Amino acid sequence: MKTNRILLGLATLTLLSCHKSAVIKSTLCCARDRAAITATTPSPAVGNNSVYQLTGSWTDQHEKQLTLSKLQGHPQIVAMIFTHCAFVCPRVVEKMKAIRDSLPAAVRNQVGGVLVSFDPDRDTPAQLRSYATQRQLDDHWELLKGNSDQVRELSMVLNVKYQKLSGGSFSHTGNIYILDGNGNIVQSVDGLGGSIGSAVSTLNRLASR
Amino acid sequence: MKTVSTLLMMICTLIPLKHYGEMPAVHRGMPARNAAMVSIPGGSYRPFLHRKDQPAAVKIHPFSLDVNAVTNGEFLDFVKANPKWARSKISPLFADAGYLKQWTGDFEIGDDKIINSPVTNVSWFAADAYARWKGKRLPTQAEWEYAAAAAPVGMQKGARLTRIILAWYDHPNPVILPPVQSTYKNAYGLYDMHGLIWEWVEDFNSVIIQGNSGTNADSFSCAAGSLGSVNKEDYAAFMRFAFREGLQARYAINGLGFRCARDLNRFD
Repeated sequence: MKTNRILLGLATLTLLSCHKSAVIKSTLCCARDRAAITATTPSPAVGNNSVYQLTGSWTDQHEKQLTLSKLQGHPQIVAMIFTHCAFVCPRVVEKMKAIRDSLPAAVRNQVGGVLVSFDPDRDTPAQLRSYATQRQLDDHWELLKGNSDQVRELSMVLNVKYQKLSGGSFSHTGNIYILDGNGNIVQSVDGLGGSIGSAVSTLNRLASR
Repeated sequence: MKTVSTLLMMICTLIPLKHYGEMPAVHRGMPARNAAMVSIPGGSYRPFLHRKDQPAAVKIHPFSLDVNAVTNGEFLDFVKANPKWARSKISPLFADAGYLKQWTGDFEIGDDKIINSPVTNVSWFAADAYARWKGKRLPTQAEWEYAAAAAPVGMQKGARLTRIILAWYDHPNPVILPPVQSTYKNAYGLYDMHGLIWEWVEDFNSVIIQGNSGTNADSFSCAAGSLGSVNKEDYAAFMRFAFREGLQARYAINGLGFRCARDLNRFD
């Protein structure tokens, strides 16, 4: 803690001296390793690290109720978005599609895409359905809405940061998460920049198990 | 305020002053077995980190907040009633390896001296589960900051809370954490909002500190507003926000605990 405080103090000085918007290297904030979550040992059943331990019931774009554990059995490409997002979310979704489209057909058909909404108020199943159509997301995609507690809990598990803004939109981080068939987070990739190569090879590897 | 003082008087009357002799005269209140709460009147709060496209002040609705941080003793009751939150049972998804490391076992605190000290080394998930078990919730960041900004009772004229907080941040963590109510009471009747531990808030992951480069996708936002802080001199608030920004919900950290909040209904 002491070292952290010294580092924080330095960051404070940086902030105060430049009089610009806050620039803090996230590594200063905590001595913990914030590197991408690494692969966990695959287990035959839902493992202890599985996101599918969350028990909340979600509603999808077809008004079907499901728990996340219903996604078990297939690798999934997951992100949290809201459909009124004009800039970031469409790019994240396009990147998820590009990852999936780069897989050989036999693998691709085994891999699902999951979009979870930050915005339970506006993202009704009908809205999610129309978003799926607009973004050309086929039956391999689940678009989910839950209540705000579920959204908070899932964001905590995935380490997504978000804040609801006045006016109804959201400020949020935009990583894409690769889940194995048991719901373990195997990889997290930048939703905007960077190549899709490593996510594609991860999914190929998961499919060959 | 009248309600608050009435409540406090009730608390003082109801709680046996067990270790009274050991406590300094100014800190004679003893922790409640069942955490007492006080009502915090509504108002407005100016977030430390403020986006230029957002209103400068956030409205705070009246709510109630635990007088004390949750103690090891209280948390033990929760773990006994919900064994899946025991140290050896908890899923690594919900807490890292440091979870409750100050205890000697799944259902043993071990050191009697920390029974009434704030429970620390608890993850956000565990804190959230405890609050729900109590029919409460974690305070939002805005609520916590708003409640914690109240001045200590009897603070000397001209003294500044920020100074007091910074002096505490400067000290190393004590090896044995003192019991709750060992620092100061603030104007709302809340103890130890600063000076004892750092506290989880429900939406700590709403802190997104944006780099100027805009290339780090771990830190961008949909609406293209940039951040500017309201009060650049408030180092103490800056440190809390920076600390929260670096947290993950499964972290169990020495010196990080929590207290619970509840909505006020119209009958309160």
